[in-house]
Amino acid sequence: MNDAVLAVRGIEKRFGAVAALRGVDLELRTGGALAILGPNGAGKTTLLRIMAGLSHPTAGRIELAGQKTPRSGVGFLGHATLLYPELTARENLIFAGRLQHVAQPAQRADVLLAEEGLADVANRRAGTFSRGMSQRLSIARARVHDPNLLLLDEPYTGLDRRAADRLTHHLRRLRDAGHSLVLVTHDVRQAAELADAAVILVAGRIVYRTGDEGLRGDDLETAFSAALDSAA
Amino acid sequence: MNVTLAILWKDLVTEWRSRDRVIAMLIFSLLMAVIFHFALPDQRPEEIRSQAPGLLWTAYIFAALLGLNRSFALELDNDALSGMALAPGNRGWIFLGKAAANFVLIGLVEALTACVFALFFDLNLTPVVPSLAAVVALGTLGICAVGTLFSAMAVRTRFREVLLPILLLPALFPVLAGSVNGTIAVLNNQPLPFEAVQLLIVVDGIYLIVSFLGFDYILDE
Amino acid sequence: MTESATREEATTGSSEFSRSRLEKRVDGLRGPSGIAMAILAVGYAYTVVAAPIDSVQGVIQKILYVHPPLAYGAYLGFVVTAIAGVLYLRSGREEFDRLAISGAEVGVIFCTLMLITGPIWARGTWGKWWSWDPRLTVTLLLWFVYLAYLLLRSFSGSGARTARFASIYGIVGIVLIPLNYYIIEMFGARSMHPENLKGGSLGEGMGLPFLMGNLTLFFAFVYLLILRWDVEGLRALDARRTAERDAAGSGAD
Repeated sequence: MNDAVLAVRGIEKRFGAVAALRGVDLELRTGGALAILGPNGAGKTTLLRIMAGLSHPTAGRIELAGQKTPRSGVGFLGHATLLYPELTARENLIFAGRLQHVAQPAQRADVLLAEEGLADVANRRAGTFSRGMSQRLSIARARVHDPNLLLLDEPYTGLDRRAADRLTHHLRRLRDAGHSLVLVTHDVRQAAELADAAVILVAGRIVYRTGDEGLRGDDLETAFSAALDSAA
Repeated sequence: MNVTLAILWKDLVTEWRSRDRVIAMLIFSLLMAVIFHFALPDQRPEEIRSQAPGLLWTAYIFAALLGLNRSFALELDNDALSGMALAPGNRGWIFLGKAAANFVLIGLVEALTACVFALFFDLNLTPVVPSLAAVVALGTLGICAVGTLFSAMAVRTRFREVLLPILLLPALFPVLAGSVNGTIAVLNNQPLPFEAVQLLIVVDGIYLIVSFLGFDYILDE
Repeated sequence: MTESATREEATTGSSEFSRSRLEKRVDGLRGPSGIAMAILAVGYAYTVVAAPIDSVQGVIQKILYVHPPLAYGAYLGFVVTAIAGVLYLRSGREEFDRLAISGAEVGVIFCTLMLITGPIWARGTWGKWWSWDPRLTVTLLLWFVYLAYLLLRSFSGSGARTARFASIYGIVGIVLIPLNYYIIEMFGARSMHPENLKGGSLGEGMGLPFLMGNLTLFFAFVYLLILRWDVEGLRALDARRTAERDAAGSGAD
């Protein structure tokens, strides 16, 4: 518990009568990378949005190390880009930085644009970006306040093989730099490449989690197939 | 407070680049002026003048509805609303930013609409600009306070464009009563009536407080 | 720690499959209030029939024994909605949201009846169906607010978000009551409502049926409110059981 950056305790979430999450417990140690896998409708995105503070659980709670104000210290990469097409890449980052109380949003934006390889297009409107560029800008947006914890919802959607590999490489670098990651996906291969722990969510419950020996791609593959069969 | 200014800046920049909200509101209120002309035919100038305050505020409220409906609709593209909701701390500041942007944009449209009404209905507004501006500002503040709150609610329901006027109009009766009353006095070259100004200040205050506090609950899922 | 921690204790109660203890306890009051309403209604009908016919207005005056008590019911309903809304926002407990719906619906029924009985009396006494009498206007404005409330609920589905939207709208609605009264006072429209009720100077023989009307309709209000709350609770329970059955079914296939 002491070195956990994130603890999820007994989270339940209902939308009206429909239960999306039925008691989820999780822990993520500092610097770790956790993959949340599951079939469609398992509650993965709901869980991630609760972790980010965008959604209130019906029951249970989220503990984030060192968090004083709600929603601080968390970076969130959503299914959508969260970007304004009318604003330039740089303006998008400055705006996000000001929302997150970053001290010098303009400087921070320039640093991130350089890191994400977007310095050349900094003054182009985000609406003109390709999917891959938008994705990199979204990651920069999520990192604008240098959060301890990055929450990523299906970051590979819509990326071609090369762009996906580059993203994996990039996220590994972030992890090595001390960020903790939570990655929601339905792709076992990508989960295995990036994460050091994984859980499988089916119908709002965790049906499998990696043990102390860490994440092994083959085991995860088997468990995931079994989970899909049980859910079908 | 920084969050409020950031959102105000963002809304004004995006509007400056597209200009679609202001232009739509403006064309709409021009149309209203023409509709009033045909709806009240064969009136002598002094009759029209006596009805001008009510007509003006009718145009204002419906033009504002148009603008308010778009205010959060443009946050739904790319789920930008979630991006705002992620901002740490009290979300009341987000509300203030959105309300301030609406106030500026709607205020701009109202100023231009007043000029058009003055031309069409032969009103001489020049001597009363300061007091008229004061009444319009107070009324618009009330409209923007609840309007921004309800717009954030309506935008995430079915039939959002239909729901906003139904939610908002009943809440605007006190604003409308105070504003029209004040405008009548101003256009008759009388001093601002104390009761109307007092009413508008009280309503604005209440609506701002309720919306500031309520907004935290609105943005949650 | 996030703010969600504080909500945990309050919300775990609603995650089990039954109505809350509060709802069950209140449900016990439904029978007695129904019986009280039924007994009072008999006495009410008798006293209204037995009351003297007004020398000026004629038999139409007897609407007085229905109309003002309806107004109290309407206001009571809207106050219940606002208070339940505040309680829901503070605690997150769904039964308060269900109470808020019940208050609004019963309030709208009373308000609608008030808006029907008022003009009937006005036609008989003032000679026209509608006049922009201050109190009539305030009631009409209020009626629109709560129709909008019900529409908001039906347009945004079930769930916590709808409940929060509705709670806030219910609070704005209650704030509007004094504001509307204030604008009508301020703009000095002349009231056509008889003011003699305030002085307590009802004609001879008119006091008892008036009192009976108030009591009967109060118990009718309580009975309907609890009944509605009860129905909403059972409906939520049923929806959850169905959803759970569907979820279990799809897992077993």
